Amino acid sequence: MTSDAILSVRNVTKRFGGRGDFIARGLSRIGLAEPNAVVHAVEDVSFDLRKGEVLGVVGESGCGKSTLGRMVAGLLDPSEGEIVAQASGATTGALPMQMIFQDPFSSLNPRKRVSELIGEAPRVHGIVPPDALDAYVADMMDRCGVDGNYRDRFAHQFSGGQRQRIGIARALAVRPEILVCDEAVSALDVSIQAQIVNLFMDLRDELGLTYIFISHDLGVVEHISDRILVMYLGRIVESGPAEQIFADPQHPYTRALIEGVPRLERRRTVYAPIKGDIPSPIDPPKGCHFHPRCPLAQPQCKVERPALRDIAGGRQAACHLIERPAKKEISIG
Amino acid sequence: MTSVLNVKDLHTSFVMPDLTIAALQGVSLSVDKGEILGLVGESGSGKTLTGFSINRLLSAPGRVVQGEVLLHGQDVLSLGEEDMRHLRGRRIAMIFQDPMMTLNPVLRIETQMRDALRAHEKMSKAMARTRAIAALDEVGIPAPESRLRSYPHELSGGMRQRVAIAIALLHQPDVIIADEPTTALDVTIQGQILSLVQNLCRDRGTALIWITHDLAVVAGIADRLAVMYAGRVVEIGPVDDLLDAPAHPYTRGLIDSVPARGQRGQRLKQIPGRMPALTELPVGCSFAPRCEHAKAACAALPDMTALDAERSVRCFYPLAEGSA
Repeated sequence: MTSDAILSVRNVTKRFGGRGDFIARGLSRIGLAEPNAVVHAVEDVSFDLRKGEVLGVVGESGCGKSTLGRMVAGLLDPSEGEIVAQASGATTGALPMQMIFQDPFSSLNPRKRVSELIGEAPRVHGIVPPDALDAYVADMMDRCGVDGNYRDRFAHQFSGGQRQRIGIARALAVRPEILVCDEAVSALDVSIQAQIVNLFMDLRDELGLTYIFISHDLGVVEHISDRILVMYLGRIVESGPAEQIFADPQHPYTRALIEGVPRLERRRTVYAPIKGDIPSPIDPPKGCHFHPRCPLAQPQCKVERPALRDIAGGRQAACHLIERPAKKEISIG
Repeated sequence: MTSVLNVKDLHTSFVMPDLTIAALQGVSLSVDKGEILGLVGESGSGKTLTGFSINRLLSAPGRVVQGEVLLHGQDVLSLGEEDMRHLRGRRIAMIFQDPMMTLNPVLRIETQMRDALRAHEKMSKAMARTRAIAALDEVGIPAPESRLRSYPHELSGGMRQRVAIAIALLHQPDVIIADEPTTALDVTIQGQILSLVQNLCRDRGTALIWITHDLAVVAGIADRLAVMYAGRVVEIGPVDDLLDAPAHPYTRGLIDSVPARGQRGQRLKQIPGRMPALTELPVGCSFAPRCEHAKAACAALPDMTALDAERSVRCFYPLAEGSA
């Protein structure tokens, strides 16, 4: 772990399925059933997270970005590898990692008042004394842009944007240092989305928070992130500083992804999309996972898995066709 | 140029015994042959309801209380239910957001396409099959013969949406209303669907109304844009004019809310507040409470005012060219 990293993810792999229950295992042993399929949701992912940085994780559905976020937040245990967080321990009882979810409707308990939603965790973990809890909850709400006087209401009495703010207040109430935002603005309207993105940036400045920002919306990720991880079928295919990745993507998949993003200034675009669907993670292609859709695929790509290695500019990419730092320019048409 | 579809002063309300909610309050728009109109708005703005009203898919208590929907000059709203059945799917087709909801989960793709074909044209099973294969081929589905045997759940999201598009195109409709058809899809798949729809409409001269909340998506494909707010069109015009020099403060706000390139890390300009509920709309301009330019006159309702031949805006103080 480097000195300024507050989170270190080392060779993390997550597999789902496989073992099956007692009967399934019995049947497969006597040859009456196929063994359960194993999904490699995340495969051998490593990265460091520096204090105060925003790491954007992008990729299409099924690429493992949410599974990765859940492992970082401690909601899932990795099958292999380790995740080490280095909390400063400034506040007793503080929980270093919190998660903000996509859907502000299903992530708040409809039968609890907002004061309880936000106040329960700090009370249980002894972060605030019981007599100060009420003021603490109101302060958290105000900080996130919801009127603290409404703390005795239920979640359904708020609009979608306000509910997302309550979700953020709930996460902040246990004084975390890392927030994992899994598609936290995707379900919101454009004008509300801008409000929440601004709130995230304000909180970062005020509280020195570190974010893992998971989204399929590359526009938002580009706006907010310092560094980007691009994932495809459970593996990192490219990572590096956000500016460089968006200005000069190296991996063919990253290129396809960035070129596919609709933008306001692209009028009457003739889209030249990348072919095909994302393959099933149960039976991913051999070699480079991206080769069946890659316009540049070589015979080598079908058999050999490209390793994630350093390329120019402090970046990493997993592609056989990218030259090592010395020869930077490659022509991909 | 005569428009294929012309919507005039459409009012749709939900009429209940003790309460009437006016959801659409005078929507007017038109699409020409081969033209793509982007209909943009946030949730609750009435964009989907406009599509449903045009195609007469409203269910009680929703109903059109005023206005005209003219398809080649013929008023769709005055047709009987039987005539409407002949028209729907044949001359006005619809593509929905979630293809899992439009496709019947217990029928094979072939059955669904055959039913759609034979609802409007007399043809043999074999003929229907040939037409279905051709339609699937056209939307870029590999191995269409074998795909016909599939059930919807056996296809990926992008494939399902292609099937839905193929069904919409079966009868070469004059107008297609596409309601957020790419919202549920991944970026690369969205690109595929956009390019597909774009090419098909251009080649066949089909008029397309593309309903979405995402300005960036329609910026790429639309010729003209209509922006809706709280049940009214607030601005309509050619895509370049509207995006480069929006006249309505709401349009301006929407554009500024989208993260743009080269502004990394900066605060996004945000519109304060949120869209009012339809039950508590302000009397005058419905955007006035959130508008930084609002003045006393905004307590009255502004009319749609033409700025030039192709552009109009519903605002007393339209933003001047180039102002922020």
